[in-house]
Amino acid sequence: MTTTHILETRNLVVEYQQHRAIDQLNLAVPAGCVYALLGGNGAGKTTTISTFLGFNRPSSGQVLIGGRSLQDQPELVKSELAYLPENVALYDLLSGAENLRFFCALAGIELGREQTGRLLSDSGLQADAHDKRVGQYSKGMRQKVGLAIASAKHAKAMLLDEPTSGLDPSAANDFAQRIRAAADGGMAVLMATHDLFNAKQVADRIGIMKQGRLVEEFDAHSVQHDELESKYLAHARGLA
Amino acid sequence: MIAIVMRKELATTLRDGRLLVLGLSLFVLFAGFFLFSSYQLQAQRLEKQRVGATAKEQWNSQSVKNPHAAAHYGIYVFKPDLPSAAIDPGLTPFTGQSLWLEPHKRNLTRFNPSADDVLANRFGQASSSFVLYALLPLLIVALSFNSVSQERERGTLRMLHSLGVAPRALLFGKLLGLLTAFWLVMSPAVLLAALTLAGQFELAIDDLLRLSLLLAGLLAYYTVFAALSIGASAYFRTSRNTLFCLLGFWMGSVFVAPRLGAAIGDVLAPNPSASQFWDAIKTDIAQGLPGDGSKQQRETAFEAQVLAQYGVASKEQLPVGFVSLNRQYNDVYSSKVHQLHFDRLRANFATQQQLAHLAGWLGPSLALRSLSMAIAGTDLAHQRDFEDAAEEYRRYFIDLTEDWDRERSHGTERSAKGAETDWRSVRDFAYTVPTVGFSLKASLLPLAVLGAWLGAALWLLAHSARRLAP
Ligand SMILES: Nc1ncnc2c1ncn2[C@@H]1O[C@H](COP(=O)(O)OP(=O)(O)OP(=O)(O)O)[C@@H](O)[C@H]1O
Ligand SMILES: [Mg+2]
Repeated sequence: MTTTHILETRNLVVEYQQHRAIDQLNLAVPAGCVYALLGGNGAGKTTTISTFLGFNRPSSGQVLIGGRSLQDQPELVKSELAYLPENVALYDLLSGAENLRFFCALAGIELGREQTGRLLSDSGLQADAHDKRVGQYSKGMRQKVGLAIASAKHAKAMLLDEPTSGLDPSAANDFAQRIRAAADGGMAVLMATHDLFNAKQVADRIGIMKQGRLVEEFDAHSVQHDELESKYLAHARGLA
Repeated sequence: MIAIVMRKELATTLRDGRLLVLGLSLFVLFAGFFLFSSYQLQAQRLEKQRVGATAKEQWNSQSVKNPHAAAHYGIYVFKPDLPSAAIDPGLTPFTGQSLWLEPHKRNLTRFNPSADDVLANRFGQASSSFVLYALLPLLIVALSFNSVSQERERGTLRMLHSLGVAPRALLFGKLLGLLTAFWLVMSPAVLLAALTLAGQFELAIDDLLRLSLLLAGLLAYYTVFAALSIGASAYFRTSRNTLFCLLGFWMGSVFVAPRLGAAIGDVLAPNPSASQFWDAIKTDIAQGLPGDGSKQQRETAFEAQVLAQYGVASKEQLPVGFVSLNRQYNDVYSSKVHQLHFDRLRANFATQQQLAHLAGWLGPSLALRSLSMAIAGTDLAHQRDFEDAAEEYRRYFIDLTEDWDRERSHGTERSAKGAETDWRSVRDFAYTVPTVGFSLKASLLPLAVLGAWLGAALWLLAHSARRLAP
């Protein structure tokens, strides 16, 4: 067993009723690595992430987190994951700081005022927004609260589902840098995205999914941007 | 974990405009009804005291006359009200509050052959208790029907799942948070009620006990609605279905169950009509209960027995007044017949009330209303206790007048006289409402029904946690 792999699936199969959404998926993300999962709509990216979080039950195969089976120790394993969906879901009636404190408290982490402020500022949320209700936040600001939750938890891995969709280019760039920094700090990051530019920019490895299978996987640093684009399109058009 | 969820739920519920707007309007409604009814109760209490004292004083100041004629003057007595009756007037509007005590017959405060109509009608009445029993549960439903489905729709449920929140802890945290927010918003109403009652009445320990019990009963009642509401919100996929289902339950509990319960009682244990009731008493007195013989036969036998007892040949030779003696004999018999029929009628009312709880599976409202009326001293059991005390008092002063009549006369003469000192020697009707223990004893069935609902609601809530899978 390679313990350096924080996120791993082995011959994973996930089915919705009759429909096979994930088909024999073998995926591995080591610590410090940003793994970008590409693929057209319905390829199975969200399902993969949901399965890591225990939202879906595998029909067969294994999901391992830090080498431990998700099925065997669901609670322990959840404490090591941070989850950032496209729209970070927070409580609109609570402030950013209150949301952070609430979600951290659920994870067993009691945050003081100062600590809360520091975490939010470190995640890029300007100080005057900390105590405003999240109902008034922009999408990017919500994402920063999500990032703050992830870093407060000292999660070993982060699961991102289209994190930059809908962010303006500078916010997307800022977000990418924060993800990169988290990975450089030792976190394993699995990121489903449609943003090839963003994938190329932050990822260490890139996987392309199609119909629930990983059809191609390569080192992000070894391809040029246009090369990546043509690979992606080739799979999308069924040419590869 | 539960405490964390509860704190968050409390904060969001309090910040949610729904609670403040709805809570405030219900508060205004409650305050209006309550202030009016406590003012009315206060006025009614003073009026009863005044009229009661006047009536006794009129009795006391009767002129010199035959004691039995004085007895026919009669005495009015009034059922005293507890301060808690301001919160739940219960059956008060439907049962008489005064009783006319006179010789020979026992009166009813008011004979309502269909007291079950009362049971049904008391719902739907605009009063502070209607706010407490019908509208506040609706507020709870309005606050919580989407408490889980909204988290599902907004995605926060997935966030919670990703943090490993136990579904049960989430649901029970929500329940506690909702109830705490609810009570915080309701506390001004509780305070208002407490201050008003304390200002208007002298509250005894027993009154405080009653008020706290009422509060505890309401807490259990609201917990049932809150637990079912949150449970349904977890169970159904959409807020719309949850709302439909909860509104159906609310209507069933508040409006259908009492009427259904009354109908069940009516069908399974019908009451006699008023004329049937009084006719049966008249017949039993005239013809005698089985084995007793007719009135004629009884009187003949009694006369023979009295003559033998005094060793005289005719009633004219008796050393005591025979008219009074004979009247007293007849009164005793009449009392016995009345008692029999009253007991039967009351037993039937009681049976009907118990049977009504057969509709209790529709919801806890009927049980709560029975309980709160009992606690407020405005139920049938308290009415009965008052009537029994009044009947005892009636027999006491009628017997006293008969004693004077008999001893101050002889033979068939009607010469006995009494004077003001005699009338004044009749003690006042001093009745105190039984303590709260009496209410509880009378409410075992509704307590059991309410307890069963509380248990079932919490069980369903725990059970609906299973449906929280992401
Ligand atoms: N809850 C569900 N019930 C049934 N089928 C589902 C469900 N969720 C996803 N699917 C199916 O599973 C397959 C994979 O869906 P998934 O959402 O994982 O794709 P995706 O790669 O995230 O797509 P997108 O880029 O559009 O987000 C699709 O065919 C989809 O129709
Ligand atoms: Mg997706």
